[in-house]
Amino acid sequence: MAYNEDGYQITRHICPRNCYDTCGMLAYVRKGRLEKITGDPAHGYTKGKLCSKGQNYIQRVYSSDRIRFPLRQMGRGSGRWERITWEQAMEIICERILNLKDRYHSTLPFCLNKYSGNFGVLHSAVEGMFNSLGPTTQARGSPCWSAGLDAQLYDMGYNRNSDPGEMEKADIIILWGVNPAWTAIHSLPYIYRAQEKGATVIVIDPVYTQTARKADYFVQTKPGEDGALALALAKIIYESGNGDQNFIDHHTLGWPLFKDYLANLNLDYLAAQCGQELGRIQELAAIIGSTRAVFIWAGFGLQRHIHGGQTLRAIDALGAITGCIGMPGGGVHYAHQLTWGFNYNFLKDPGNRYLNINTFAHELNHLQEQSVKMLWVSCRNLLAQDTAGKMLRKELDKLELIVTVEQFLTETACYSDIVLPATTQFEEMDVVPSYWHHWIGLNEQAILPYFEAKSDLEIGQLLAKTLNTYRPGSSSFPIEKSPGSFLDEEFNEKLYALLGISHWSELAAGPRQAAVSTTAWSSKTFATPSGKFEFFSAKAQRENIPPLAQYHKGMSPQGKYPYWLITSHAQQGLNSQFQNITKLAKNKKPVVFIHPQTAAVKGVKTGQMVRVYNKLGVITLQAHVSPDTPSDILVCHQGWLPGSETRLNDLNDGLPTDMGRVSTGSQGVAFYDVFVDFDPV
Amino acid sequence: MAKKIGFLVNSDRCIGCHACELACKNEYQQEPEIRWRKVYPLKEDSFGGFAREFASLACNHCEDPACLKACPVIAYTKREDGIVMHSKERCIGCKNCMLACPYKVPEFNQKTKKVEKCHMCAARQDRGEKPACVVGCPMEAITIINVNDTIAGAERSLPGFPNAAITNPTTRFIKPVVGRQVRRDA
Ligand code: SF4
Ligand code: SF4
Ligand code: SF4
Ligand code: SF4
Repeated sequence: MAYNEDGYQITRHICPRNCYDTCGMLAYVRKGRLEKITGDPAHGYTKGKLCSKGQNYIQRVYSSDRIRFPLRQMGRGSGRWERITWEQAMEIICERILNLKDRYHSTLPFCLNKYSGNFGVLHSAVEGMFNSLGPTTQARGSPCWSAGLDAQLYDMGYNRNSDPGEMEKADIIILWGVNPAWTAIHSLPYIYRAQEKGATVIVIDPVYTQTARKADYFVQTKPGEDGALALALAKIIYESGNGDQNFIDHHTLGWPLFKDYLANLNLDYLAAQCGQELGRIQELAAIIGSTRAVFIWAGFGLQRHIHGGQTLRAIDALGAITGCIGMPGGGVHYAHQLTWGFNYNFLKDPGNRYLNINTFAHELNHLQEQSVKMLWVSCRNLLAQDTAGKMLRKELDKLELIVTVEQFLTETACYSDIVLPATTQFEEMDVVPSYWHHWIGLNEQAILPYFEAKSDLEIGQLLAKTLNTYRPGSSSFPIEKSPGSFLDEEFNEKLYALLGISHWSELAAGPRQAAVSTTAWSSKTFATPSGKFEFFSAKAQRENIPPLAQYHKGMSPQGKYPYWLITSHAQQGLNSQFQNITKLAKNKKPVVFIHPQTAAVKGVKTGQMVRVYNKLGVITLQAHVSPDTPSDILVCHQGWLPGSETRLNDLNDGLPTDMGRVSTGSQGVAFYDVFVDFDPV
Repeated sequence: MAKKIGFLVNSDRCIGCHACELACKNEYQQEPEIRWRKVYPLKEDSFGGFAREFASLACNHCEDPACLKACPVIAYTKREDGIVMHSKERCIGCKNCMLACPYKVPEFNQKTKKVEKCHMCAARQDRGEKPACVVGCPMEAITIINVNDTIAGAERSLPGFPNAAITNPTTRFIKPVVGRQVRRDA
């Protein structure tokens, strides 16, 4: 457990906020107060380092903006808050639950919308509490990575990646639609070391990012057209004799069909589609084709387009043709599920009705039977992040009760009737895995909860207890069990064996790396039905998806809306989180980055306010003229600035991606297929 | 020659993440407004996220410290190893050093009414530990060097850095190198 040094009590933590790096942290506590935070040197991937968001957690934990007590709002969105006790809050919620049950003889009017604000295993207690009530309505899917997950599932049968340290063994690292200098900083030292050993680092991105700045070679593509580039490279590499025939012959399925498909592709057309000169692509193909270990890191950005899944399948196919998959320092890496093998008792489905999280408002509106009457939100700020914001508000207006569990008065909290204060990872116990590195670590409790904050688990237990006092048998959620006993039941022998421990409490001695192969697919036996890399996937065909990785023309700006609007991750934020921690916020106002030529055409200068609009709405942003974005793309960074009326996704149609259902239950969102025009204010 | 330590700031590795600033703040629990280390963008202003080159600067522990010369109460001393120490006990908060330092390093603490600045984690270094910012930088972009050693690629200045002749700072820099760009609109 916690140990002492210099009068400090030191505890271990893992940052749980949906980040590639999912860092190990040490909290230093004196007299019950968190005084400093450092990285945990025992974490083999984050190695004692933290990003600035992590370094700044004390500001977040003790922020004067944190919610201290349960609150009731007299009139949704009115800002007339009233402090209530936990008993009162539970009373209001339970009375509504029982009233709805009596009126509708169903538990379907209760709806849950939760996502990634905290990826700790015990945060599934929210689902657990809901599932204990009977069949409820729950938002399912992921706004983030669904299409890419499915693509790799079709090609290789499972989501597996190499240890990020493998990048040091690469001859070429391709960072494709990923900006680790902002979103996975602990991976950069591996990339630097690879460069020092002579590796070439290539960044492929529509925008000149901080990572592009560190690369040896930056190749700019049109958004959503990475598939064209991947297939052009694959064709040139194979047809120039640089493919790995041995890999193709022994470890793939469907090659003859894919070979024919490649043969019929027109390189000039593909080059035009991705916006590059063919000569440059040939140059790139020569570099890639003539080296051994090619490590491709495919980011989430490139699959946030309508054909995002096909794009990743095309990149996978390129990886297969080079024969790099399964090679130390090679392969196509996206995300993994290797260390997520918990029992997930909380997720046992009592026959729920699931709504696509990405079209939540629309689905609420189109329910055939039993409409939703009450919404519970946790680990999410859907009003800031969802597409179709206006419709969402309208749908929320129809509900009888909205409960949000939060640390801050986010847009969603401000549109709720009851807000319950949530603990941070320093105030609760949990276990947190990562989807990029292979480490798992423990969150110990360092300090008492901030004022009256409670964890999702405690809130679930309190609600179940209160419900059962009102009406015995309403909830089967275990109300007496400790977080530790829940963890006992979440772990299993397989997971323990992977981590080389016999009990999760051993994680207090330091995070553990799962004993999975450091090189993904090193056995070259794939998890697909054929055991091979599948250029041709019958599974995809069964899902009504073309069985062969294919090029599909993406969307492009035209007519009234001549610019792409790309809303990528901010440096100092994580989705809607952290931007409210003022010391981190660089921009006090939401900013849009505009190419100098484009800005000149409109007569816009840095600092000026501009209206960015399309048929869905208008948002006002501050212009920043920058050559880092091309002339046909406007770039904004997503996030939630308190007090700001600007919701980037008000301009977003929320088009579905081609894939995502198999992995996450719903298709993803083509967040980056958004087209706009702008004018100075 | 005796050992003289200084910071080697590798702007080729730095990504402008500000973790070093905050690692220092964490270690010494500074007031919210005070930063002993600051990350400066080298190009453009610090307006948005698109400045692409940075230098992380703290006190330069100069060979001829202007702060030391300007201080009327001898609050500054230069250690044998080169660290310029500031004594809170002696400081009377007259701010002369703030005006004298070409790098605007000393900062005024409104609570204590005295100045403060980076001491190169002298106590940690005396214990054999590395400074908090060095340990905290995820890019391994800050190191402590012996400035009398020859370090490949190390330079005395960066664009925008005040004239090194004034105080003879011990900070050394590795300049950023830009890779090749194949733009769509080139
Ligand atoms: S922590 Fe390192 S990489 Fe980040 S800004 Fe400071 S010097 Fe640069
Ligand atoms: S940088 Fe400024 S404060 Fe530091 S030693 Fe030089 S003159 Fe003094
Ligand atoms: S403020 Fe303090 S350290 Fe600076 S000159 Fe005055 S007495 Fe010296
Ligand atoms: S050397 Fe120590 S005091 Fe100076 S900036 Fe770094 S952490 Fe702060």
